[in-house]
Amino acid sequence: MNVYIKNILRFFVIILLQVLILNKITLRWWSEPSGFPVFIPYVYPLFILLLPFETPVWALLILGFVLGSTVDVFMNTAGMHACATLLIAYLRTNVLSALLPRNLSEYAGQHPNIKTMGWMPFLVYSAFLIIIHHFVYFTIELWNFSNFGFLLLKVVASALTSMLFIIVYLLLFTRQGTTRI
Amino acid sequence: MRNFIFFIRRFFNLLLFLALEIVCFVMIERTNTLQGNDLISSANAAAGLIYKKQNDVVYYFGLRKMNDSLLSENALLRKKVDLAYSIDTLKDSLVHTRIAQADTAIHVVKYADYLYMTARVINNSINASDNYITINRGSADGIIKGMAVISGTGVVGRVEHVSRHFSSALSVLSTKLKINAKLKGGTNGFVIWDEKSPDILAMTEVRDYVSIKKGDSVFTNNYSLYFPPDVLIGTVIKTEKEKKKGTLMIYLLSSTNFHNLQYVYVIGNTMADEKKQLEDSTMKK
Repeated sequence: MNVYIKNILRFFVIILLQVLILNKITLRWWSEPSGFPVFIPYVYPLFILLLPFETPVWALLILGFVLGSTVDVFMNTAGMHACATLLIAYLRTNVLSALLPRNLSEYAGQHPNIKTMGWMPFLVYSAFLIIIHHFVYFTIELWNFSNFGFLLLKVVASALTSMLFIIVYLLLFTRQGTTRI
Repeated sequence: MRNFIFFIRRFFNLLLFLALEIVCFVMIERTNTLQGNDLISSANAAAGLIYKKQNDVVYYFGLRKMNDSLLSENALLRKKVDLAYSIDTLKDSLVHTRIAQADTAIHVVKYADYLYMTARVINNSINASDNYITINRGSADGIIKGMAVISGTGVVGRVEHVSRHFSSALSVLSTKLKINAKLKGGTNGFVIWDEKSPDILAMTEVRDYVSIKKGDSVFTNNYSLYFPPDVLIGTVIKTEKEKKKGTLMIYLLSSTNFHNLQYVYVIGNTMADEKKQLEDSTMKK
């Protein structure tokens, strides 16, 4: 399949997955009171993480903005998701070149995923960017540092579950052959 | 000039990044007001349509619960009707809408301040620090910004964004919304949300000498511009003294179950504009 069609399809699949299914599952780790916040996993940054290696930074930024704004429209959070997604889109290239043994231009026509990078590097790469995304998003959402522990709790709990869902997504959608969605 | 172009080329990505981030912050800033943009909200037509399609699917799962809540609401309304018939409706308030009866010479004056519209909830969130619900009524049905939203069991929120066929309302589970409330004895205060649990609200600004029992009900009071009086908000579960301010922090169990909200009433106050005008004009003096 053409790389463009593949990514456009993935965009819609991930948006619908996030908005229609994951947004409806409100997780609470233990039910009462102790003030543990309710939260949902955010899996949509995965779209940015899975774009091909040679995507230029400006394209990443524009796609990140479009992706974030689309999620914002559905969640009534104008700009918050877009802001966080832009940051990880900007950092992606640097993180990838720090983690990979060879120059990024040598991976022409490949996606970052568990096949091309291996489990450990990919998990480090995605966990790092997901934690940054969640940290920025929840900071903007709460917008006060008076209760820093609450913020950290929200970030850590949400990032852990997001990673769990990302691993599930990868296991489901990684084909055994050389091509993959 | 040449250097300038080189500079742009060298830092193009960084500049693009910063420009887009600024756009984001402007959007965030603008939605923090009631006059904010309606485009980036789930009241917009495309998002509303998708949420409506999803709601059509999951709608059937909640029918049983909805039936029960409608029954109990009916019982409550029957009780209220009985109460209303036993008192005199001929009040001296001529400002309220006159409902004239053609065949008699007597004009019966009734309260018709509040218009009720039913709406279906097509999207609902409870996990953010400002939660919104999207309903399937919009400006075409006469919804305007600021209208109150209640469910059969209690207060839900206030309409914030309106498009032609959908609107999104800020729910009580939000840091931006502060509701005028009163205790059973008539003590007034404000109901807010402390972001922790979607079942628990908090009431503030009640002096600490007021005696409160566990299980007392909290209602909306007559001060609010949008909410009708005596709508249930919640019941007291515990109180905490705030020594510095000499006030009580009262935790309430929300009477509305935000986990499964299906139908709500949108309430328009026909006297709201007049009341607001009067209050504004007295403020200026």
